[in-house]
This record gives sequence, C-alpha cells and structure tokens, in this order.
Amino acid sequence: MGRKVNVIGVGMVKFQKPGASDGYEVMASGAIKEAMKDAGVDFKELEQAYAGYVFGDSTCGQRAVYAVGQTGIPVINVNNNCSTGSSALYLARQAIEGGLAECVLAVGFEQMQKGALASSWADRTNPLDKHVNVMNEQQGVNQAPFAAQMFGGAGREYRWKYDTKRETFAKIANKARQHAAKNPYALFREVLSVEQILASDEVFDPLTRFQCCPPTCGAAAAILCSDEFAKKKGLTNPVWIAAQTMTTDFPSSFEGQSMIKMIGYDMAKQAADKLYEKAGLGPKDVQVVELHDCFTTNELLTYEAIGLCPEGEAEKFIWDGDNTFGGKYVVNPSGGLLSKGHPLGATGLAQCTELVWHLRGTAGERQVPNAKVALQHNLGLGGACVMTMYRRN
Amino acid sequence: MSELRFDGKVVVITGAGAGLGRSHALFFGKRGAKVVVNDLGGTAHGQGQSSAAADKVVAEIKEAGGTAVANYDSVENGDKIVKTAIDAFGRIDVLVNNAGILRDVSFQKMTKDDWDLIMRVHVNGAFACSHAAWPYMRDQGYGRIIFTTSAAGIYGNFGQANYSAAKLGLVGFSNTLAIEGEKKNVRSNAIAPIAASRLTETVMPKDMLENLKPEYVTPLVGWLAHEECTENGGLFEVGAGFFGKLRWERTEGKTFKLGREITPEALRNAWEQVTDFGKATHPANITEALGPVMSNLSSKSKGGNEFIDVDAALGAELAEVRSRYDERDLALYALGVGAGKNPTDPNDLHVVFERNGDGFYALPTYGVVPALNALFKSMAEGKTAPGLNYGLDRVLHGEQYTELVRPLPPSAELVHKGRITDIFDKGKNAIVVMHIDSYDAQSGELLVKNDISILARGTGGWGGDRGPSADINVPPSRPPDAVVTEKTSESQALLYRLSGDWNPLHVDPEFASMFGFQKPILHGLCTFGFVGRAVVNAFSKGDPRLFKSIKVRFADSVFPGETLKIEMWKENDLRIIVRATVVEREKVCISNAAVELYAEIPKPKSKEAAKSAPAAVAAPKLDAATTFDAIGAYLGQHPELVKSVGNVYQFRLKNPDSAWVLDLKNGGGAVKAGTVDKADCTLDLSDADWLDMVSGKADPMKLFQSGKLKISGNVMASQKLDFLKKMDRSAVAAPATATPAPAAAATVTSAITFQAIGAYLSKNPDLVKGVGNVYQFRLKNPDSAWVLDLKNGGGSVKSGTIEKADCTLDLSDADWLDMVSGKADPMKLFQGGKLKISGNVMASQKLDFLKKIDRKEFEAALGAAPAASASAPFAAPAAGAKAPIIIAALKDRLTKNPALAKEVGAVIAFKVKDGPAFTADLASATPVIKDGADAKANTTITLSDDALAEFAKTGAAQTLYQHGDVRIDGSVKPVHRLGFFKQLV
Repeated sequence: MGRKVNVIGVGMVKFQKPGASDGYEVMASGAIKEAMKDAGVDFKELEQAYAGYVFGDSTCGQRAVYAVGQTGIPVINVNNNCSTGSSALYLARQAIEGGLAECVLAVGFEQMQKGALASSWADRTNPLDKHVNVMNEQQGVNQAPFAAQMFGGAGREYRWKYDTKRETFAKIANKARQHAAKNPYALFREVLSVEQILASDEVFDPLTRFQCCPPTCGAAAAILCSDEFAKKKGLTNPVWIAAQTMTTDFPSSFEGQSMIKMIGYDMAKQAADKLYEKAGLGPKDVQVVELHDCFTTNELLTYEAIGLCPEGEAEKFIWDGDNTFGGKYVVNPSGGLLSKGHPLGATGLAQCTELVWHLRGTAGERQVPNAKVALQHNLGLGGACVMTMYRRN
Repeated sequence: MSELRFDGKVVVITGAGAGLGRSHALFFGKRGAKVVVNDLGGTAHGQGQSSAAADKVVAEIKEAGGTAVANYDSVENGDKIVKTAIDAFGRIDVLVNNAGILRDVSFQKMTKDDWDLIMRVHVNGAFACSHAAWPYMRDQGYGRIIFTTSAAGIYGNFGQANYSAAKLGLVGFSNTLAIEGEKKNVRSNAIAPIAASRLTETVMPKDMLENLKPEYVTPLVGWLAHEECTENGGLFEVGAGFFGKLRWERTEGKTFKLGREITPEALRNAWEQVTDFGKATHPANITEALGPVMSNLSSKSKGGNEFIDVDAALGAELAEVRSRYDERDLALYALGVGAGKNPTDPNDLHVVFERNGDGFYALPTYGVVPALNALFKSMAEGKTAPGLNYGLDRVLHGEQYTELVRPLPPSAELVHKGRITDIFDKGKNAIVVMHIDSYDAQSGELLVKNDISILARGTGGWGGDRGPSADINVPPSRPPDAVVTEKTSESQALLYRLSGDWNPLHVDPEFASMFGFQKPILHGLCTFGFVGRAVVNAFSKGDPRLFKSIKVRFADSVFPGETLKIEMWKENDLRIIVRATVVEREKVCISNAAVELYAEIPKPKSKEAAKSAPAAVAAPKLDAATTFDAIGAYLGQHPELVKSVGNVYQFRLKNPDSAWVLDLKNGGGAVKAGTVDKADCTLDLSDADWLDMVSGKADPMKLFQSGKLKISGNVMASQKLDFLKKMDRSAVAAPATATPAPAAAATVTSAITFQAIGAYLSKNPDLVKGVGNVYQFRLKNPDSAWVLDLKNGGGSVKSGTIEKADCTLDLSDADWLDMVSGKADPMKLFQGGKLKISGNVMASQKLDFLKKIDRKEFEAALGAAPAASASAPFAAPAAGAKAPIIIAALKDRLTKNPALAKEVGAVIAFKVKDGPAFTADLASATPVIKDGADAKANTTITLSDDALAEFAKTGAAQTLYQHGDVRIDGSVKPVHRLGFFKQLV
C-alpha cells in the first residue's frame, strides 16, 4: 500500500463557449492560482505538474504552467481524450502515493473549437477505428456528429432492451439544468423543462440538442500532497483519495456487437468494481457523484455500470428521483458536462474540484448535505475510464 | 553474395605496423592474400626505427592462418620493399601507399627540413614504391595502387602546409597513374580517410577516436584493390561508416568573345557569373575540362567599342513598357504635326475634334509616338539596352518605319515589347535599329510595328557590318503626282514635344548649340508627321484609316518656322514615294521615303483570335490596397476577430512599398494604411509575397521559414492571422487567378481518375508504407470496379475486384468523380449515405492523400463531371414516394391475416419524413390503418421513406431502429413485434 494522498487545493475558471474564452494559458494559470490559493501553497513548493489537454500543439502544459511560475520543475503533458483531466490527476496521485513527491499539481485545460469533435490527422490510423467499425456494423452512420451517433446508438440499444421512454433521458438533462442553476461555475444555467428538452433539435434519437454536451473552453486544477506535507502546512482534515482506478477497453468493446459495450460500459463497470474493492466502500456509502454525462444516454448507462442502480432499473432510478437532492445520491450537482460544459482536458479536474467542495461543505447553494464520500467517473473514448473516490473525515 | 577474396594475390602495404596500415594488412591476410607488411618502426614524427611493429603484424596475420613477410625499409627505398615481395612471393598485385608522418607546424615557423621530410616520405616514398611496382603490374596486366591522401590536402588545414601539399600531390599522382595504367588494367585511386591513428590521436577527443576505427576505412581499400572493381582515378572520403566519392565542380563561368580586349574591369563586372555554381558542371578529365576553352576558340566577337558592344546589344530584348493614350493625346499630336491650321477643314477636324460628327481618327503616324515614349520612359528609369553606352548627345533619328496593323483606336492601353534587331558600323557613326511592337493591353492584339533607326554619332569604326547601302524609295524622274507646301510654325517643336519627345535638342538652345546647331531643331518625327498627313490628305481621301505604313530617312534637320515642300509620287494605288525639302535652304530633309496604303480598312481581330494573344499582356493587376480593403470588409462582418485575435499587426510591404496597420485589438478593429507606434507583431515582406499569401498561393509559415517574411515582436501572434485563409479568396484573388476556363470539356471517366491515382502512386511509392490497405471501389452507374492496392509490393491500381480488401467503398460514379475532384467531401458522402464503406471504416480516412493529387490532372479531365452527374439516368424518386405503396401493402396483408395484429397489441403511428403519416391500430382484433398520426398511439415511429421501404423489405425491427434516421416516441416494445413487415413489398 502506498501513502495517503490528500487533495489540499482545487480551483477552476468558469467555462466559456468556444471563441468567447481567454487563451488556454490564461484559463489554466487562473485555475492553478485558485488551487494554490485554496491550498495555501506557493508555486515554489510544487515539485511536479501534470497538465492535461487534448487540442493544441505539444508542450501547451509548460506554457500554461509558465504563466504562473518557472521553477524548472517537471511538467508532463497528458492526453487521454475526454478523460484527460482525471488521467493527469491519476498520475499526480501516483507520484504522491508512491512517495516520489510531496506536493504536485494536476491541471487540465481546453480551448475548443466550435462544432462536433473531429479527427485532425487523416494521414494515419485513427485511434477510434475499431470503435467506428463496431458502430458501422451495428447501425451504419448518418450525418449526426460521430460521438452523438455512438452514445445515442447505445441509448437506442438500451431502449430496445428495456423499453425506456424518451422522456427518461430528457429528465436527466432537466435535472442537470436544475443543478446548474445553483452553480455559478456552470455555463448553461437556464432551467429547461422536459418538454423543452425533447422539443430541441433532434440529433440522434433519443438524443436531442439539449441532451448533448457542447464544446466548451475552460480549466481546472488540483493540488495533491502527502500527509507529511499537509501536516507541515497545518492542514488538519483535508479531503483525501480513498481509491482511484483506471481502465481501458476490454475485448468486449469491440467483440460484444453492442453499442453499449463499445462506448465503455465494461470499462466503467470494471473500474467501479475495483474502486469499491480498493476503498473498502461500496456505492451505498456514497452521497455525491460526478459522472461523465457527455450525453444523457451515457449518464443513464453509467448509473448501472458503476452500480448506483441495478442493471435495467435506471429508468425507475430516475423517475424515483434517486439521482438528485432528496434521493439516494446527488449525481452531478455541478450540472455535469451537460450544463457546466465539457472542456475535454479540464473536465476530470473540474469534477474533482466540485466533489472536494462538497466534502468540505463549501459548495454553497447546491451543497449535498452530509457529504462524506464522493465518487468521480470520467470516461474517454479510445478509451480510458478513471474513477476516484474521495473522503473527508 | 560471394566474398571478395585475394587468394594468390600479393599485397604490399607501407606503414602497416599500426593504425590504418595494420588494419589493411590484417584484412588482406584474412582474405587469402600474401602480405608484405612494411614498417620502418619510427615515431609518428619520423624519428627512430625498429622492426618490432612490422613483425608484430606479421605474427598476427600468421596466427590467423595467413601468409605475410615483414619489411623494415623506408618508403624512400621503395624498390627494396617491392623486392621483398618479389623475393618472397614472386609478384606484386596491390600496393597500398599508406606510410606517412606528420611535421605539423604553422607555416610561419616551418623549416625547410619540416617541408622536405614530409615531401620525402609522402611524395617521394609513394613514388619509389609505385615506380618499383609499376613494371610488374603492367607486365602481368593487373595491378591496383591505392594512395592515402587526406582532407587536409583537399581542404587545407592549419599547421599542415607541408602535409597538405604532399597529400594533394598524391591525388594528382594517382590521377595520372590511372590514365597511364588504364590500358594495362593497372588502376589507381586515392582515399582520404578519417580514422584514429597515431597521426590523429593527438588532435581528436578520445570518445570520437573510438568511433573512428581504422576498420571502418579498410573495406574501401579492400574493394578498390579487388580485381572486380574497375574504379580508376577516383578520390574518396571515408571514415566512421561513411563512404563518399569526390569530384570537381566548375561554374558555368563567363566566356568573353575573342577578338576584343578582355579587361580586369570586365571580369570584375562578370564576377558573379564567374563564381556562380548555379549551373555547375563536373569535368571528369582534361578533355572535358577544356570544353569551354575549346568552344570559345572558334568564337568571334561581332565587335564594338566603348560605345557599343555588339555582342551584348544585338538581339537584346528591351524592358517591356506599358502606356496609355486617349483622344486628348491624339489631338495634341495632330496639332503638333501641323493639323488644325484651317479649323473648318473636315480632314483636320477628323484628327483634332474627338466628337467630330464624321468621326475622330488617330493620325497614323502617331503610331510611333507611344513606342518612342516607351523608350524614353525606360531611359528615364535607367533601363537601357545592354551594350549601348552612348548618351542622348550622340543620338539622331536616322530612319523610321511605322506600320499600323489596323487603325489606332481613339484611346488605348498599350504594351510595348522591343528588341535590337540590327547594328551597323557606318565608319564614323553607327546605326542601331530597334524593333518595337505595340500591343493592345486588353485584347493582346498587335496594333503597331516600329523600326526605329538611331544614328549614334561618333560611335562607329570597329570595322563591323556596314549594313545595306542601296538607295531605296528613290523618286522617279517625272514630276510628282502631288505636292504640298506647308510652313511649320516657329513654335512647332515646342508644341510637338508635348507629345512626349523631351530630348532637349528640340527646346534647349544651349543643348542644341553643344550639338552644333545654332538653335533647337524640329523633331524629325514632327516632319514625319507632316509627311504622313500630306499623304493621307492627298491619296486616301482624308481617311487616315487606310494608312498602312511609312518609311522615311531623316536626311537633314529642319528648324522650326521653315517651310516644307512635300512631293509625292504614286507608284501604284497603294504605294506612294515621298520626298520633303526645306524650301528656304533647298535641303532635302526627308528622303528615301514611301507610304503604303490599305485597300480596305483593316478590322480588329475577332475576340476569339485576340484570346490567343500573349497572356502576359492581359494580366490585370491585383494590388495590396485591394487586399486590405477586402480584409477590412471581412473584419466588418466578423467583429469577433478583435476578441479572438487581440493583436495589432503592422505590415510593411516592399516593392512597391506600402505600410498597413491591421488592428485586431482595440474597439471594433481597424484596417488602415500607414504605420503605428506599438504593434504587437510587425511583418515585413514583399508586395508580391503578400499578394501570394492572401490569395492562398503562398503559405505564411513557409515564407517565414524561408526568410521572405520577417516577423518582429510577438512572432507567434502571426499565427492568429490564420483567419486570412478563411476569407473568401475571390474577394482578394479574383483578378489574380482569373485563369482561362479549360478550353474544352473533356469527357471524364473514373478510368481517368484511377489512371491519375496510378501515376501519383508511381511518384509516391511511400504511400504503400503509409497507408497499408487494399481498397475495393465499386462504382455505380456506370458500374465499374477498381482495386487500389496500397499494401503489397509497390502498390497498384487496377480495374476489377479482389477477394480480400481491407476496406470496400460503394458509391456512384458521379459521387466518385466529385470526390476526387474535391467537390465532395468523402466524410460527408459517407455520412450522407452516398458512400457505403464496409470492412475497416477508418481505413478510408487514409484515402486523404487523394486530396494531394494535383487537381489539375483530374480537373483537366473533369470538366465534364457536373454534366455527367446531371445526366445520371436515374433520378432519385421523390421523397415519401414509397410510403403509399407500403401502406397499401400493409392494409392488404392485415386484411388477409388480421391475427397478425394480435401479436402486436398496440397502436403504432408512422411519420414518414416528407411523406404521409399513418397509424396502424393493431390493438384491436380488427386491425385498421388510418391516415395521419394518432396522437394517442402507444408508439410513434418517425422515419425516412427509405428506412420504411427497407423495413418493409427486411422486417428487421431492431436494425430499423439502430440504423439511421429513425426516432421512436413512446414505447419501443411494440416495435419488436413488427416482424410481419418482412417482404411487405
């Protein structure tokens, strides 16, 4: 067993639509400064930095960190699609846990362009080729954005199996907006009714426009440290990482003849199972969850994958209100990717930030009462799934 | 591969006790040769001697099973070394002249001993050994000599003057032996090794020396020494795994014509040409080296002197000049040549009144004026023809020929192209003839031809061609058919010069007196104009448009105010001989003159014909101001640029120079001419490169990297100018890129496109490695199949099918043509269902290289593509057309078998996109199909007509839902039970 890892500082900037944001280095340095202030740590005390982003030339991480300080520390750029931010966090956690450093920074940022995600390197093997082949076999392709076809297709497969109503998915988006309305960091805070959500432009049934997270720009950061360091800083009861796991695709993603498997259901399931085993706590012990709701269909599937409800019962879970205040869990109190926005590199660390605030009881209006154990799920196609459990005594 | 062996061969290696020599010796010993290991056993500086070194190597060879003897003689006694070989083995096949020593010292401190010793060991030693071996090699018809030279000799090296001289001496030595031995199969080569040895260990760092093993040099010696190798007279650099051959390179140089003095000044002026390696040659032997010299031996200068260099000037093209004239210029000219003295004369009004009721015509003799003005303009800009080095003070107009291809339009923009066609040496004077063609700049049509003969006073006498001297256009002895006497005005020259001939001789009394005239004289061309007018009035009914040409000789000068008598003899209807005389002085001023007329007024060329005119003439101009205007307009439409860019850019364009500020930081942004104090980023580049950049022809990054674009301030801020690429190119580039449309629309077939891909593949064989897939294309309508193999061997393109393709693409022929010509995006075709891909879908992404194929190859062929797609015989059926058939079939099936409904037990509404809506009430025992979508249905399926048709064929309900444009509202379950749709149609 390694050392205990504490999250002593978090910070983020308010996410913005593409074109309206500051440059990535400005956003990232803003988040880093917030996290440093939060932790009471000086830049000189940071021994390493893990910088996550997907879009940009090499070494943007350095450029972002340099905007805060240039102490010559190692800066490692991390790129893992939508789970980039939590991958940076994963590396930072390893450094502390393994005794390789006392205090490190994980930062994630993204300056995205308008429109759906697209490949930039047509002259080489597309990393998602196996995934796309599955989709092509299962359902062909149409004009909708590829990610929407993938996650929407998984939703169709689920509906086919469990006869789920379209409204059920819309309810997830509706819940996201209700949560976001109380989160000043969220980009889309206007509450939308289920009807409004269903009436928005159809993207790929059952997905409508308001059930898809839009490209977003933003940054978030977290500072991790050892117990010794925390003690030295006089931090008596910091949030700590009870467990963290990361999985990549299993053969079932490609051989399962299933859209649900292809988009990473088994990655999430395995990551969750291992996580609970490591932490010695199960989903029942969790009060607050930030999970990867890139599309409403994925949130629904993730409920089941990470064991918030049994398989096939997500619809009931949703209609019973077990995913919001007053229910079993509060899922995505921040508004999630759907409402807060999804800057690929920043998302994992923004989730972390949100959960740390809840565990500290400083989440303001949207505070989940009595939050002691928090769960994070961050998924990237390609693929990688990172899950983290946070605790505070 | 067979091993290169030296069995039975005798190899002598000098200096073989250590380093390179030792490595060579061990090599030859191992490869079966009998080796003579020579080493004096001295130090690297040539001191002392001992037999130990050679003996040790001999022992090593023997230990390895080889044969070797030692020799301890100095190479200066080469005969003794060779004798050792003969005595021991009876022959000598290979001599490696390897022994060497160093006496490094700066030249300043070098003693004669230092020099002599090096020469003795390297040059004399190599001589002694080679000379002793030579007869044996010649006699046996086989021999290989390898000289060891050095980079120090080839390039020079500080402190090694003696060594450098000796080493390069060996190269020359080897080169000649190569020639002399060639016929007897005795070959000689020189190698310049870099290796760790006693000679280098003091000058190179240790870790470097470790990688400079002698063993890396020996393979070259082994190969050059082998019978199989026919290399002869070569020079090689070798070391650390590198092997390269050297050769001489020579500039194209400058060749002066013989027969005239060649001065150092001339050489200085030509120095760039003498030293420019742009067009270098590589002479391999003396014969080739002498080529330029030999060919120039037969050259002969056309002569010249300080004023005229006939070699340079004759045939030289003059700088192209543009000019324009309009009605005002024509009228002013007409007044300048005496028209309008009688303002009511209709013939005069024709040429001075632009709104004259009977028409306004250019005086034909005006045809010389724009051409001559063009010459003056060039002179004023300092652009003179090469080889003509006299000033205006020597110039007189000697003869003039002007021909109008058709009447001059009342106004035109002209392009003048000229060259020097003749230069004659008239003894004291010279005559230089320039031919200038003037084209209509818009149509490219040739309008006027001029031959301008300049008499350059005092510039002749080089003994050159005197030119034709026969008298032409001599008036007949009979009285003239027409005579016009006309007095010039005192101010005639002052008026005429306003048409452009600003030679001060015609206005400046002082200049005229320097020229030897008591006062300024009238322009010859003014008199020329008087003559032309007279002929028009007398012989072409006053219509200048019938005038074809005029040829005159300027025999004497005329003073303003003098009276001209113009006599005209009609030789035939279309040719008039003319003479003009100054009445007051009875001097012939225009002689040997003739005017030709047209029988009919020539018409302008048809537009078709005009198109074939030189393209350069018609190219309109794009200027920087236009581009910045366009950027300003773009900025107006995209105010968000200010936020996203946030920089002020200063552009400084050169040639022509201009400065522009692009402010994408303050307020709403601005584009303006001029400079700004604080720019975030300043870009310096030529006007031409800027135009290329904004029109997309040049990539800013490439311009920057090649130094054509200089950026100061925040360099990376320039990246944000990328938005320039997004601007509508037509806004900035339309004029510049107005290339003619393809002449004829060729019929394009997919076969042509695949041929083009094949051609591209043969030029880019690396595609096979980069792509690594086999593609099967199945085109429809017309149907064809193609295999693009980018996986096996060198790749291939062929028609037909293949069993195992990585990726199969099905699409229409028309879509394929659109795709390869860049009109259609493959991804869009794919997502739009027009392109079906099976197998590895993403492998199709690697077809991206198709974009890189020169579009011209396709486009030339693809002119007809739109027509092809338009004429596709199958028109897509109207949307929603299949639904009614399916509804009818569904009714029919349910009527025949009402029990089917029982299995479903739900009301299902269908909404066909762009088609009818209907509801299948399958909840009751008697199923009903109703028009319209029932709002109370358990399930509503929204789908496309095609999807419905597909479903009515397959009945595969889940496939229906997973595929494409389908939406299910309400419960999904009933859809599971719609399998009876199978084979509905």
